[in-house]
Amino acid sequence: MSNLLVLTTASGCHFQSKPSCGYPAPTIEDFFFKPIFSIGGYQFTKPILLMLLSAAIVLAVFWLAFRKPKLVPRGMQNVGELGILAVRDQILRPQLGSRGDRYLPFLVSLFFFIWLMNLWELIPVAQFPATSKFAFPVGLTLVVWVTYIFIGMKHQGPIGYFKNMAVPPGAPWWILPLLSPIELLSNILVRPFTLSIRLMANMLSGHLLLLVFSIASWYLFSATIGLLFAAVSFIVFLLVFVLEVLITLLQAFIFTTLTAFYISDALEPAH
Amino acid sequence: MPREGTGWAIVSYLIGGMVLYGGIGWLVGRWTHIEALTGVGIVVGIGLSLTLIIYRFTRPSR
Repeated sequence: MSNLLVLTTASGCHFQSKPSCGYPAPTIEDFFFKPIFSIGGYQFTKPILLMLLSAAIVLAVFWLAFRKPKLVPRGMQNVGELGILAVRDQILRPQLGSRGDRYLPFLVSLFFFIWLMNLWELIPVAQFPATSKFAFPVGLTLVVWVTYIFIGMKHQGPIGYFKNMAVPPGAPWWILPLLSPIELLSNILVRPFTLSIRLMANMLSGHLLLLVFSIASWYLFSATIGLLFAAVSFIVFLLVFVLEVLITLLQAFIFTTLTAFYISDALEPAH
Repeated sequence: MPREGTGWAIVSYLIGGMVLYGGIGWLVGRWTHIEALTGVGIVVGIGLSLTLIIYRFTRPSR
């Protein structure tokens, strides 16, 4: 199909237009972008831009907040302290207690970075969650994975960590060869897998839902009964939008909480 | 009150057990040409995962 034909059908393709055209459903192709520019084989695309913007904004906000910290906070420092204390009291302390305060910078960065990358799904012009590209959750998960394995090996000794992990208490010795592989597999492989997939799948599905209902609103919009369908579709779009406001925050919270939990799991010697 | 990550730990034990013993069952099934062993492996994996979950989460710690 030539580009001109695509353009005319794209702009004229509605519910009851003649010749009839089907609903232009969103596909996985909507998650792949043409590069903004390329350097050799490296393509700089929109998700990468959004990720860099998220990192820059998080850095800028916290740098501005704590540039000249005062004992009695003024202005921007209030916001920064609000963010840090929220992560510390809701995520870190319930999992790790006070000994976990040394991991607070890591968790704060993780939480706000993921939250902002998720939020691009809802912000006009951008309207794409950077975390729905699998590479970004995988990268974050790799950092978390290396961190908790390293912490476990440091606190319990390299052999002791795996030994404590593999031996459940109270199990008779003859069942250990059957149970230990499950435990090792679950802690070392399944945890990072589920951590990354959970974040990616939630953001991907949220974005797909928004796409489906917004395209449907436009597709159904005509001077006939289609107007009613379009209105209903738009109302559902608004409801999904509100849901996504919650989900973006929740997924960042879950990722960070599980990171804190895995770190606390690595710190204690035995169950 | 169970700890916050316990639910996810249980899920990951179940998934891990099913994948591991389902995989072993699949490999043995290919070797012996009995295709049903994959399913047997998955069920055995579920059973062993449940055993592990019970030992880990209901017995008092060492």
